[in-house]
Amino acid sequence: MRACIGVVILAVFVAGCGGNQQSAPGTVTYNCPANAVEVAVLQKEIPAFAETSGVTIVLHPFSGQEKLYAMMAADKAPDIFYTNSTMRDELAASGRLLDLRTVAAHDPFVGRLWPHVVDGGMAADSGWYSVGNWEFTCGVYYRKDMFDAAGIAYPDSAWTWDEMVAAARALTRRSGPGGAPARYGIYCGSHFVEALEIMNGSRFPRGGTRLELPATSREVYRRYLDLMNDGLMPDLRTVQALGMQAPQLLQTGRVAMLVEAVPHQSLIEALTVPWGVAPLPRFPGKAPAYFRSASGGLSISSHTADARASWKALKWIIGGASTYQPNPVLRDVDFVGGWESRYAALRGSGFREVWDLSLRHNGGDPRFFVRFSSWASAPIMERLQPLLDRVWARELPVDELAAHVDEINRAARTQIETSLRTSVYGSSFRARIETDLQTMEVAPAP
Amino acid sequence: MRRMDTSWRATLTMTLRTSLLYGILSVLGAAFTLPLVWMLSVSLQDASGVFAQPFQWIPPSPRWENYIDAVTLFPFSRYLFNTSVITVSVVVLTVLSSSLVAYGFSRLRFRGRDALFAVCLSTMMLPGQVTMIPLYAAYARLGWIDTWYPLIVPAVFGSPFYIFLFRQFFMTIPREYDEAARLDGAGRFRIYWSIILPLARPAVATVALFCFIGAWNDFFNPLIYINSPEKATLTLGLHMLKNQIVGSGSVQWHVLMAAALVVMIPNVIVFIAAQKHFVKGLQMGGLRG
Repeated sequence: MRACIGVVILAVFVAGCGGNQQSAPGTVTYNCPANAVEVAVLQKEIPAFAETSGVTIVLHPFSGQEKLYAMMAADKAPDIFYTNSTMRDELAASGRLLDLRTVAAHDPFVGRLWPHVVDGGMAADSGWYSVGNWEFTCGVYYRKDMFDAAGIAYPDSAWTWDEMVAAARALTRRSGPGGAPARYGIYCGSHFVEALEIMNGSRFPRGGTRLELPATSREVYRRYLDLMNDGLMPDLRTVQALGMQAPQLLQTGRVAMLVEAVPHQSLIEALTVPWGVAPLPRFPGKAPAYFRSASGGLSISSHTADARASWKALKWIIGGASTYQPNPVLRDVDFVGGWESRYAALRGSGFREVWDLSLRHNGGDPRFFVRFSSWASAPIMERLQPLLDRVWARELPVDELAAHVDEINRAARTQIETSLRTSVYGSSFRARIETDLQTMEVAPAP
Repeated sequence: MRRMDTSWRATLTMTLRTSLLYGILSVLGAAFTLPLVWMLSVSLQDASGVFAQPFQWIPPSPRWENYIDAVTLFPFSRYLFNTSVITVSVVVLTVLSSSLVAYGFSRLRFRGRDALFAVCLSTMMLPGQVTMIPLYAAYARLGWIDTWYPLIVPAVFGSPFYIFLFRQFFMTIPREYDEAARLDGAGRFRIYWSIILPLARPAVATVALFCFIGAWNDFFNPLIYINSPEKATLTLGLHMLKNQIVGSGSVQWHVLMAAALVVMIPNVIVFIAAQKHFVKGLQMGGLRG
């Protein structure tokens, strides 16, 4: 018992060490990803940055949305943290984020960013609230050995959906128990279907307030489901149940082609088999529009004690910290060359072509959680997602999903109106939401 | 002859019943043990072994180095120290405070006692998500964020569930013990400390065990209140390890399972130790008549 009480006394002494080491001028707290390697690299480089800039960065690696909101409620938000498009406008509208224009005016760093990266951080009031800290596109990774064995030519940058389906058919091996495929031709997670929608001509304005499901999108949904219906792609629930992640699917030969993010660090590091990567297949007669992510970035808290120090730290994280270099959000870095020198397997893999195509034909980020404005996203997604899940489980026909669109928009509109009455939004945001509501044409209830 | 027949039938029935009982218990036991065996098996395989079909329960060449990786890929010893100090403090403080409060509820007579006990129990009904932000704000005002205080200090105020457990146990201890002690000149606290608490060893062991497992495995509270990596606990370390492994390939379940098993060991040891005390307490307690 005495020993236990001794431990308690020790704990009381040790427990109080540190605490609230934030919000002092010149000291900036950063909610970095909880990754031991990343933290170690940053911690090693921070002293040198502090020496040259006079700004000390304190890392807070254990982040999470619940924690961030709790910290904000207690006015203890970290100075720099990650926000995605779903939460950014909402936080900006309630005055939680610093408008970066106040600290970044005339800063040459802004000129180093791709214009679409700057645009992606703008909110409805034209304020600039986040700087994209990373970007990626997506493509089709494929096993070269399997293509060779099947006598199929590797995909090129102009390959079409039908060619991809033909390749998947030729690569599928039905030698499993009961004729089940031991190897599937392709796997494409449902979160990449939105990228295929823009390839088929669907266009979505950023910050939308209503759900639209054009014929071009519905056609993609049907084609995607056909991959499963024809046994060319594993059922999504089967993949979930297996617990396998993308690299493992391709590495173990469960699939011959895989739609995934480009570049995908863990996939590149994990693959030991010969592989290549091709752009997403094109749809006949449609202009190419490749996926380019713009969902999130780093924001600065409006309660930061030293806005200029926070801006300096943010710039260093994006453009200086070695763990994030070369950073694709910067236009003056050789991103492809940097990655090719880091990973020899990327040379001649098709990575350069895929990346260049996504820059030349930037179709933006059409993902559902990015597609809608901050206030419309939750009202729409909480109704749409369960229906989408049923569509991907092949329990709900695509046409029936389309029949729900008006109902979803009506409910979303009601919810946005309620939120406008009950939430504290800045005047410019309020005016913008009101304008959106006025222009939001919703079919009357039947 | 008939008597022999009846006896044989009774033996057969008994054997069948016992076999059935053992059969059901074995199936249930296997069902509960299977995930642990899977963890152990995966922790000794390489990355490809996890998804091999059919799954090899006994690895052909066990990879013991997974365990070395598991404890070297993150600051294991520091996190072990942090977790141990926090857990021991929480266990000691919770047992002392909860038993003291329960003693009051079971032995002292005062107006509104039962109502107060009902209020105490009702705090169990509040989900943690509801109290998270107010508590965070309160701790922030006290300057306790990024310290261990929010993890340890609440234990000083007891836990309604443990108070309930102790109270129910104390109610079964005859009041004659208290009266005898009072005749010998013992005060309220002396009775609690020297009579009730030693007699309640089984309850103490149970509460200490539950509390230890809860504090050792707690992920959410350290996640919310701890910011600095050097103050993190083992569960946060596992979380960090998982992210780290993701960054260098896919999730390497074999290393993660090895780390999880290592983190689990103190739990198992404490469980076995507390179980022994639990039985001993029952044997030595004053409840056998």
